[in-house]
Amino acid sequence: MPTLTIDNQTVTVPDGTNVLEAAQQLGIVIPHFCYHEALGAVGSCRLCAMKFEQGPVKGIEMACMVQAQDGMVVSTVDAEAQELRAAVIEWLMLNHPHDCPVCDEGGECQLQDMTIAGGHGIRRYRGKKRTWINQDLGPFIEQEMNRCIQCYRCVRTYRDYCGGDDFGVMGSRNRVFFGRFKEGKLESPFSGNLADVCPTGVFTDKTCRFRSRSWDLQEAASICPHCSLGCSVIPGARYRELQRVRSGINRQTNGFFICDRGRFGYGHVNHPERPRTPKLQGADAAWPEALQLARRRLTDIAAKVGPEAIALLGSPRASLESLALLHDWAKQLGGARFCGDPQPGRDRAARQLTALLGSRARSLEDVRRSDCLLLVGSDPLNEAPLLGLAVRQAARRGARVIVIDPRPVELPCNFQRLSTGPEELPQRLEHLVSTTEPTDDLSTLRTLLHQAERPILCGGGDLLGEVGIRQLAAAADHFGTGLFVTLGGPNSYGAALLSGDGPDADQLCEEMLAGKIRALVCLENDPLADGPQRMARALGKLEFLLILDHAPNRLSRQADVFLPTTTVAEGSGTLVNNEGRMLSFSTVFNPGIPLGISSEGGHPPRSFSPTTAGGEPRPAWAVLAQLRGENQSPEMIRRKLEGRDSRFAGLSLLDPDGEGQRVRGGGHPAGSHDQSFPHPAPEGSLPLLVVEQLFGSEQLASLSPALDAVQPDPQVLLHPETAAARGLKEGDTIALHTELETFSLQLKLNAAMTPGLLLATRLRDTPLELFAPGSPTPCLVGKGGGDA
Amino acid sequence: MNDYPQILFKNRRPGETVFLDGFRQTGGYQGLEKAIRAMTPLEVRETVKRSGLRGRGGAGFSTGLKWSFFPADQPGDKYLVCNCDEMEPGTYKDRQLLMADPHQLIEGVILSAWALQVSEAYIFIRYAYEQEARNLERAIAEAKDAGYLGTDILDSGWSLRIHVHRSAGRYILGEETAQLNGIEGVRPNPRSKPPFPAVKGLWGRPTTVNNVETLADVPHIITGGAEWFKNLARNGDGAGTKLFGLSGHMERTECFELPVGIPLREVIFDVGGGIRGGREFKACLPGGASTPYLTREHLDVAMDFDTLEAVGSRFGTAGVTAFDNDTCMVAVTLNLIRFFARESCGWCTPCRDGLSFIQWLLEEIEAGRGNMEQIEMLKHQRRNITGRSFCALAEGAMGPLDGLLRLFEDELEDHVRKGRCPFQ
Repeated sequence: MPTLTIDNQTVTVPDGTNVLEAAQQLGIVIPHFCYHEALGAVGSCRLCAMKFEQGPVKGIEMACMVQAQDGMVVSTVDAEAQELRAAVIEWLMLNHPHDCPVCDEGGECQLQDMTIAGGHGIRRYRGKKRTWINQDLGPFIEQEMNRCIQCYRCVRTYRDYCGGDDFGVMGSRNRVFFGRFKEGKLESPFSGNLADVCPTGVFTDKTCRFRSRSWDLQEAASICPHCSLGCSVIPGARYRELQRVRSGINRQTNGFFICDRGRFGYGHVNHPERPRTPKLQGADAAWPEALQLARRRLTDIAAKVGPEAIALLGSPRASLESLALLHDWAKQLGGARFCGDPQPGRDRAARQLTALLGSRARSLEDVRRSDCLLLVGSDPLNEAPLLGLAVRQAARRGARVIVIDPRPVELPCNFQRLSTGPEELPQRLEHLVSTTEPTDDLSTLRTLLHQAERPILCGGGDLLGEVGIRQLAAAADHFGTGLFVTLGGPNSYGAALLSGDGPDADQLCEEMLAGKIRALVCLENDPLADGPQRMARALGKLEFLLILDHAPNRLSRQADVFLPTTTVAEGSGTLVNNEGRMLSFSTVFNPGIPLGISSEGGHPPRSFSPTTAGGEPRPAWAVLAQLRGENQSPEMIRRKLEGRDSRFAGLSLLDPDGEGQRVRGGGHPAGSHDQSFPHPAPEGSLPLLVVEQLFGSEQLASLSPALDAVQPDPQVLLHPETAAARGLKEGDTIALHTELETFSLQLKLNAAMTPGLLLATRLRDTPLELFAPGSPTPCLVGKGGGDA
Repeated sequence: MNDYPQILFKNRRPGETVFLDGFRQTGGYQGLEKAIRAMTPLEVRETVKRSGLRGRGGAGFSTGLKWSFFPADQPGDKYLVCNCDEMEPGTYKDRQLLMADPHQLIEGVILSAWALQVSEAYIFIRYAYEQEARNLERAIAEAKDAGYLGTDILDSGWSLRIHVHRSAGRYILGEETAQLNGIEGVRPNPRSKPPFPAVKGLWGRPTTVNNVETLADVPHIITGGAEWFKNLARNGDGAGTKLFGLSGHMERTECFELPVGIPLREVIFDVGGGIRGGREFKACLPGGASTPYLTREHLDVAMDFDTLEAVGSRFGTAGVTAFDNDTCMVAVTLNLIRFFARESCGWCTPCRDGLSFIQWLLEEIEAGRGNMEQIEMLKHQRRNITGRSFCALAEGAMGPLDGLLRLFEDELEDHVRKGRCPFQ
């Protein structure tokens, strides 16, 4: 812990801190470009010059390249250092086009700030400026190379940090170009980070180009709703439209970066088909009328049949506050049925995880610092991309990475693949810990895990299921380490904690089919897409269906009552991520039809009204409170929840800008359940495994027009050996007959996957949506057939 | 012209390349045999240190001292890299050696590799030196056949492989850490130091990078002894001979092996035959494009590292480029700056943008569009680039600019006042 003096102030910093960081700790901000906390210091911009007056280093040095040491006396205001900083800015600005008025970065441009801070004002260079022809880098990122100041952050982010290889630096001298060899879409799933790291307007978010000035955007700290990791994000809205999302900073979770699904999946908030008014059997209605009807019907059914006739079905994308009110309402009704997740497989996996995680919990930061990572049934780049990025950081520091998965998993780093069938995952894990029966490929892995100092076992909840998670936890105990398991949604963990040992959606479905449950309340879920496969039939048996949602929902027109709610960006609340970390988000903007839609693009709007067009959606917690006839606020709900349930202690003190806090204590596994196939698999069938893909699977992001361009085509994957044995070849259209549905898909061969298995992506709005992700279904394969 | 002792150039004949037989007839590989059979690696390193040999690639760092930082006794992979990326304008000495007598280098590499206990060496050669690279490849094959290279060299149990790596062809690859990146196949930006290559070099392993001429001197030091080598120099502090590449406005613009410490006057007027056409000597670059100019008042200075530094210049590569009295020093400097600006790798700001800014300023002044403020701007550039860039490239580019501003400011002012180049 060296102690040094900077501008006559003394500071003690951890070993390995550089002098630029030490100065920042004192609140002294010295202009810099190439240094970035996540990327480190490289000393190329030469801007952070300081004068080292006493100590082991003397003279003008780049502060980012000097480690803080005892006895250093440093001046940031030294005349020589200041002259150099101004000179560097002058050089950087020689070729800059001064096009701030038409630059999207204007107002949040580090180059603008550093130019002012650096003290250079008037351009003395009168020669020709260097110019570039820009490239089309695809739907996400706009390039404007003339603005480039060659800080190399983009290439260090894209290639070094994120592992992309289709973008780089070309040329030399004062003609250094950052881009692709040929025009084309950036292939990395982390390409959007270029917009965040670029200190000026070279790389900007194409999806919000020429839309807003940064100072006109309403921004607030929020949490990404597109997977279970809970990455910190900062959405920005203007004119009632969510226009962009940039990465927030949470050193325990995402660090400084987010994936392209999280960044460009925001379009669901502005979706033109988003239901914005309460509806009674499809007809628009006023709030009081709709609320009153819902309350009356539910009270009637509770009184007539009993509270068990009411089922309250939550969702992993609902906030903890809403779920807590829903859960509490079940009790208030005198014992209504509560379940936090419509997808039984995911629900059971999440509940199992909450029951086991405890001190085995590891964070993404722990993953980044790990020296040996075993990934079982986890496909990070498709299920939880930032896990893939964290694995890469560990690998860059020398960690060994081993993958056991039936899928052709890819990672942005070197790893060893041990393939396996989906049903064998728990078995493989059992073998891993059994010392008596050392199968050879596992014995090396065993040794690696024993020798590692900070190993972590990572898993995917979909493929592991509750049995696999139990085995993974046993393996973690065997190797004296922890777990990092991804789940289905941003609040799967919170929903599972509240569900406890209560029924799962399968049970609710059975009870609906048996006529025991007469009324169903769906909180921010689409039971037809995400519920058990029998749901469609079960819904027909209901007397009353109430849906609360903000996404276009298949049932919003059929439901007896539909009540529109707000999205994460339009409210505040808490989500519990996959490691049990409570993360709070704050309100970015209030709901309303984007002005661009309501005024048909005209500006200023010509219609006048005392109310906001489309401003009717209310936070789900508020709707639930009204249904219960109470006055509530999120603060009250949080205080009540932590008072009642000590696992949530600290909930009311969470700071949206903070790192969140882990829940204390665990949940319960779901009650016992028969997991076998309803019928024995027919002769000659193959297991069909339907899995998540980066784009196209997650419900909210699939509603984002910005992602239309990257929507994958439906296809089915087969190992070349399996295909050959059945006389199938690449490109064939094959018919897939399952108990649920018959459909056809294009065949693609992949030698990296496990043989004897059919793999398909769970794409929204296709027949594949109906399959529970990660659980294999027997499937007969035939040639030919119509389109999927 | 004096009869200067010829060590490296002793086999040099016009239009001829000497290979193994000719090399051995004049004592070739005796240094290597002596070292391996009669000395320890440490003794070799100590002898080189005592000889006072300083790096011939331009920086003039003591070779013995550099080697003393190298963990020769540490097990594991270690590398010796021979820097033959001779791209400094006015410098062509290594090429002459490789065209005349390539085994000189091969013996030097083998002996040095043994002294440093490495078993893998790279010769990184300028892309334009294709014939020289082929000479080296032939010499390597001959040395291998003769048992000087390969496995169990001279029954010592020690093995060595030498790779000839052709550069992709930019000046920055002469910078040692950029060169290591070049060999690794990544973009040749320089690396930050520390860690120095001796600690973390090629593929992250201990590495020493030495110039062609430096390595070629080593066998002679072993054969002749440290004292003999030291005494080859004319001046007390100097050591050995040096290959001087003469160019510019001299009568004889060739490469000569001359003793270190020889006065500049003797180089230009005896060896070089004086300024061409009987004109007057105005200035010269004493050691390649990145060394500040010397003028008439410096004619009696001894050509060595410390003596030239004392008069504000550098010995560099001993590529002496002379200019006669009709030469515009602004134009000379502009020409040199154009080279450095073009060859900047683009990594750090002072080099990438500062050098092109200086180029523009000099172009304006040379074209008669300059003003006095721009002369001050040149000084501002020199002040803020010298010592501030990431590697030595921009530092070297400041050599001629510094010379111009120190010695020929009146010429700059003359350009401004007349509104044209006074030499045109």
